[in-house]
Amino acid sequence: MNEPLLQLEKISKSFAANRVLDSVSLEVERGLCYAVVGENGAGKSTLMKIIGGIYKPDTGKIIFEGKEVNFNNPKDAIYAGISIVHQELSLASNLSVAQNIFCHREVTNALGFIKWKDLYQRANQLFETMGVKIDPRALCGSLSVGIQQIVEIAKALSLDSKIIIMDEPTSALSENEVDHLYQIVATLKERNVAVIFISHKLTEVFRIAEKIIVLRDGKLIGNLETTETNRDDVISMMVGRPITDLFPAKNTSPGEEFFFVEGLTRQGQFADISFSLRRNEILGFAGLVGAGRTETARAIFGADPKDTGTIILDGKKLTIRNPMEAIAEGICYLTEDRKTLGLFLTMKTRFNIIAASLNEFVNKLGFFRFPQIKERSLEYVDLMQIRPFNDDINVINLSGGNQQKVLLAKWLCAEPKVLIVDEPTRGVDIGAKAKIHQDLRQLANKGIGVIVISSELPEVLGLCDRIAVFCEGRITKILENRDLSQTEIMKYAAK
Amino acid sequence: MDYANEKKEDSFLTRPVKSVFRILGIQNSVLIGLNLFLFILMSIVVPYFFSPANIEVLFMGFIFEAIMALGMTLVIIAGGIDLSVSAVLPFSAIVVAFFFKANFPVIIAIVLTYIIAAGIGLFNAWMSNTLRVHPFIATLATMLTVRGLALAISNGENVTSDFPKGFSFLGQGKVLGLTFPIFLFIILSIVIGVLLKHHRFFQQVYFIGDNPKSAKLSGIRVEAFMSFIFVLSAVLACTAGILTAARFENASNSYGINSELRVITAVVIGGTSIVKGGTGTIFGTVLGIIFMSIIYNAFVMAGINPYYETIVIGTILLGAVFMVEMFKNKQMKIK
Repeated sequence: MNEPLLQLEKISKSFAANRVLDSVSLEVERGLCYAVVGENGAGKSTLMKIIGGIYKPDTGKIIFEGKEVNFNNPKDAIYAGISIVHQELSLASNLSVAQNIFCHREVTNALGFIKWKDLYQRANQLFETMGVKIDPRALCGSLSVGIQQIVEIAKALSLDSKIIIMDEPTSALSENEVDHLYQIVATLKERNVAVIFISHKLTEVFRIAEKIIVLRDGKLIGNLETTETNRDDVISMMVGRPITDLFPAKNTSPGEEFFFVEGLTRQGQFADISFSLRRNEILGFAGLVGAGRTETARAIFGADPKDTGTIILDGKKLTIRNPMEAIAEGICYLTEDRKTLGLFLTMKTRFNIIAASLNEFVNKLGFFRFPQIKERSLEYVDLMQIRPFNDDINVINLSGGNQQKVLLAKWLCAEPKVLIVDEPTRGVDIGAKAKIHQDLRQLANKGIGVIVISSELPEVLGLCDRIAVFCEGRITKILENRDLSQTEIMKYAAK
Repeated sequence: MDYANEKKEDSFLTRPVKSVFRILGIQNSVLIGLNLFLFILMSIVVPYFFSPANIEVLFMGFIFEAIMALGMTLVIIAGGIDLSVSAVLPFSAIVVAFFFKANFPVIIAIVLTYIIAAGIGLFNAWMSNTLRVHPFIATLATMLTVRGLALAISNGENVTSDFPKGFSFLGQGKVLGLTFPIFLFIILSIVIGVLLKHHRFFQQVYFIGDNPKSAKLSGIRVEAFMSFIFVLSAVLACTAGILTAARFENASNSYGINSELRVITAVVIGGTSIVKGGTGTIFGTVLGIIFMSIIYNAFVMAGINPYYETIVIGTILLGAVFMVEMFKNKQMKIK
């Protein structure tokens, strides 16, 4: 019998008093794909970082290729044959693809001068074995995220990696790029490389992984064969309870139409966008990445200019030139990218919550009224169930799901009439996802018009009452969400 | 999965990629054009502007900043900054003069001065690597301290006497018809320029400047390399100091005042981004140096009120930064 490539024996790790991994044992075999799933804070990333040499375990043994290893730093792990492709890509944007792949291991002559021809040739050979064609001379900064990821994988391969760990590899990719990634994973498996990836998307887990590793609260809950389990089992293992209410009940009797967008156009971005929003309704924007959904939302919010088009709210025609005017009229937009565009990461939860409604919390001279700020922010911390229950913590220390809740609280605090949320559950775990869905539904029930932009079709289908399908900058169809299927939406989304 | 060819078909993708290359050239081409324009303009306005004698004067006027700019380019590409160069220059001049006063042989005096300057560079690196002080603050502190030290050891006075024969060659001698500092600068810029572009060790600066964390994960010893960069910068500033002392046969505390700003200006005009590390070339810096040299010289030659000098330099600096930003935005859009 083959000995496993990597064995973890009773790995534990604590940060301060917080036990993040509790006696996790695991075996990884060559040529298989492992999916690591679990809620945020379950210890997935920590486990991967221990395998990749970024952290050292407090107790436990790592046995790699039959020998016990003790990685002091990521370099040790990389040279032993374990590479991590991080979620945030790390290529130098002003250097070529080939230079990035062979970073610091360039082919050189005796004096250390780089042999450019050999370098490009080796990169080409590498791409050939992966079945892709990428120009090794192209600057990395000019490539799409999907291609950059492939370059990162090529870099890992060039290091002769036997294990390649990917941290949510598909979270920023378009559908096409995801398919390519799957093919590359298949090629890697043929080459006897073990692939471990962290994912929140169970559909993809079931599609490409042979084994599913479920972590919860730092413990290994399940080590399953993909063929012998199913979605619901995995979810209930992840959260420790069956989740039946991932999506709240839909609204069967929406109110009157109160928000109209007519003929919204911006050259080269979107054209002739017209739709209306009814009270108590959640409207979904579905479509492929780059179909113009975010651009439309930003134009409505005044963050980007529009060429033509009218926006009518409660019978009044609005002129919105910047986000400040939009917020004053009651239109709020929750951005796609919470870290760079939504939150003030190094500031306290409290100030993040009031950030969009500062004027309500100052006296006539412009000084903050702190007691009122505290009262209101705690109210929202309670309402959104932000954990820990404290408005005095810097947002950077919260988990992804809780950060998303803070962002939602910020916009609720601004008391919107129309709330546009862009990818509200990207990168948050399933428990927080269900909570956010419920919150959005509750807002709709309170009379706020909610528009949800989401690239996950199951989410659009499960959450929205109506769905506007975008394709290449236009709305191709607005569908009532009654017994719709993904195929039907895709029919309009892809032309 | 043919990404190379996919791009060729898709004009939406290729156009920005090509324009990135084009614009990379534009930054330098605009500078070359501007330099040529100034040269021609000045040659028309001032008849003897284009004489060998004036060309030498022109380059000698900015040569010490030019030598420091080579090191500064690397520091800025690596994502740092080194303000202390303007203090290392007079400090080195005074230290070397003191060694001469104490009757040290020329070579020993120079070597010892270099060792002391390298120590200052190491101190900068230590503050930035170990104490995690931002290089701007760390080198600002060094600048003040070292300038103060120079004043203290010289008692605020010029150190003039006892310069050995032969030492003045470093500031005044000729090699292949070129004054030694200019000759040295040409050699240094070619060597550093080629190394930066083609040598594995020097290439690390781009990885570090772009993303130090991922550079570390790729096996680059970031701290060690940053130490090297700071030492290199200090050593070049020390070179400028020694050459200044040799040129004027005098070591004065007034050398190099505000030169760090002139050096940074030349580097930034040359297209090295101070906002985000990882971009920049020695070629661009050399063009920036030539530009600054012409401007300083032109104002004297044309007899224009020197108050306008800094207005022109400020405007061009803004224009250069604007070009770098424009180039960056173009690049962002394709992502």
